[in-house]
Amino acid sequence: MKQIKLITLVLASLSPALFSSLALADLPSGDDIAKNINARDEGIAVARNLRMEMIDRRGKSRVRETRAFRKYFGDEKRTAIFYLTPKNVKDTAFLTYDYEDHAVDDDQWLYLPAMRKVRRISASDRGDYFLGTDFSYEDIKLETRVSIKDYTRKTIGEDEVDGVHCYLVEEKTIDTETAEELGHLRRENCVDDAIWIVRKSVLWDLQNKPLKTIYFKEISKVQGIWTAHKIEVENHKTGHHTTFTFSNVDYEKGVNDAVFTQGSLRRGL
Amino acid sequence: MKIVTHSSLLLSLLLSPAAYAIELDTQTIAEVKWAVNSEDLTNQAVQLVVKPELSAYFDNGIKLTAIGKFNVETVDGLQAEDMDRDNYSDLSRSALLGDSVELELRELFFEKALGNNYLTLGKQQVVWGKADGLKVLDVVNPQSFREFILEDFDDSRIPLWTINYEWQINDDSTIQFLWIPDQSMHALSERQASYAFTTPRIVPSAPDGVAVQLNPVERPSKVISDSDIGLRWSAFIGGWDLTLNYLYHYDDLPVFYQRLEFSPSGATVFVDPKYERSHLLGGTFSNAFGNLTLRGELGYSTDKFFLTTIPTDSDGVVKSDEMSYVLGFDWFGFEDSLLSFQLFQSVVIDSPAGITRPEVDTTLTFLAQKDFLNETLKAEILVLQNMNESDGLIRPKITYEWQDDLKTWIGLDIFHGDKQGLFGQFGHNDRLVVGLEIGF
Repeated sequence: MKQIKLITLVLASLSPALFSSLALADLPSGDDIAKNINARDEGIAVARNLRMEMIDRRGKSRVRETRAFRKYFGDEKRTAIFYLTPKNVKDTAFLTYDYEDHAVDDDQWLYLPAMRKVRRISASDRGDYFLGTDFSYEDIKLETRVSIKDYTRKTIGEDEVDGVHCYLVEEKTIDTETAEELGHLRRENCVDDAIWIVRKSVLWDLQNKPLKTIYFKEISKVQGIWTAHKIEVENHKTGHHTTFTFSNVDYEKGVNDAVFTQGSLRRGL
Repeated sequence: MKIVTHSSLLLSLLLSPAAYAIELDTQTIAEVKWAVNSEDLTNQAVQLVVKPELSAYFDNGIKLTAIGKFNVETVDGLQAEDMDRDNYSDLSRSALLGDSVELELRELFFEKALGNNYLTLGKQQVVWGKADGLKVLDVVNPQSFREFILEDFDDSRIPLWTINYEWQINDDSTIQFLWIPDQSMHALSERQASYAFTTPRIVPSAPDGVAVQLNPVERPSKVISDSDIGLRWSAFIGGWDLTLNYLYHYDDLPVFYQRLEFSPSGATVFVDPKYERSHLLGGTFSNAFGNLTLRGELGYSTDKFFLTTIPTDSDGVVKSDEMSYVLGFDWFGFEDSLLSFQLFQSVVIDSPAGITRPEVDTTLTFLAQKDFLNETLKAEILVLQNMNESDGLIRPKITYEWQDDLKTWIGLDIFHGDKQGLFGQFGHNDRLVVGLEIGF
């Protein structure tokens, strides 16, 4: 009798952890969630207007109007962004080739109108901020995808964003070098399991302090493809905000291959 | 001060028999610059530049770009009258309104995609090469030396009337063909100007007691046979950006032929400037390796002319081929920063004796840039150092963007070293520069 009581006591004290473990075991693994995200249809090519609004901690706002394109060439993804206004950045253009082979560095170019030259830029500092925004070059490249190669990941629970159920996936950079390249140590993604899109991503810097939070909003279907029309970043270190707003999104017209060339960067749209 | 107007108007113009919709995009930049000589605190430049720009997009895919320039310079030494204007072709020369006001049609060109090919027709700039601030292949357009090399290249490059056809062979390679009937050349400062060349590398000198007479320059004038032709093959192969370039052109700097004549009143050196043809063959490359970007360019020019000090030389110049190259390293390892180093060397191939420039001329450049506050504040320093004459130029600068179309900057231009050198000759021109640019 005494022995039974003891067993009951031990079981009772363990049960919250045990149930929690059992509950987590029922959740899809972080890797499976990442695969589902990256398997989501993005279309072969997309053209859209991209409005970038940057607001500093004092509320001063700067706005850039751009035209942005993305296209898959087999497993290779190419992205091009052309700045339309204001004058001080007009005709600036950015091009990146993202290769499927992880061993191969991406290739990136920037056209600077003041120099009238296309400049090859390093793709290693993926954590550097993209042209004054709070997005990193890596964020620009991935958009609503996640990087498989850079993190280990596990599902740590469930949550809600804007009333939508999501899985919480913790991603930790695989090594120090990767962390330094990306500019953060880890992140937590809240992944909408109905459509496999990240709704919120929280990042911690190399000192494990809050770095920034990214919100993916106004998600709706365009031509049958789930599309985030607004992406907001809140930089916790600087108080700076950036909002990307997408409009005139078109997956059907197609994008000419020539858009993704250095000649196109020079000439503009 | 730069005033940029931006307005987008959608007009529909009925042109019989077809209807063309035209989208017009106009912008204006106004820039005010004040430069004060740091030695004697006199004004070196008080300048207002207004640059209106019009882009028109036609329904048939043609794009028209027109860029004008209204330049007011109030300080002697940098005014339009301080520049030799004979270097310009009649179609490219600016108009003067008094001593201090200059009106110029900077660029006027049509662009049209023809399938995968591209035609750009009109007055334009064509930029070749991978080097920053050093010119090996970036010689398609001549340059104004009104402020030596202190002006932005976009402003100092002289646009030319050009047919520019780009043939897209495939996604990764292009051939560009240039035909340039415009025979505008480098714009050099007159002797009284602030940035008049005095270095013996460029300017011939006569012995004491010998008079000098500079005759008018002999310039090419035939539209077809004196035109320049350029070809460039560009490709992206195995991660490398590559180009091969060829330019058959007139060297934009005249050759100063000299002849000594004696008369009862004494000896006189007659200087007969003349532009000469040259073939330029070269290539460029660039690639990224981790945080490092490697880039370079090489150019081999035939029939270059160099001043010589040998008294027995019949015309004061010697002919030789010349090879120049730039090797550049860009380091992106620090956040929001760029560290850039370049080695430039120019070699006079035939090693003629007595030339007034070094046979192997070496210049190093170093650039450090750092962005702050989400790229609203930029600090940079550019150092150019010639290794032969130990002269150079140091240019620290801070730029702040108050808002999208309003920025200010402050900087120093410090020349140092041998007064005979390319940089040292302007040692008396050290200056503090402040500027304001507004766009609307």
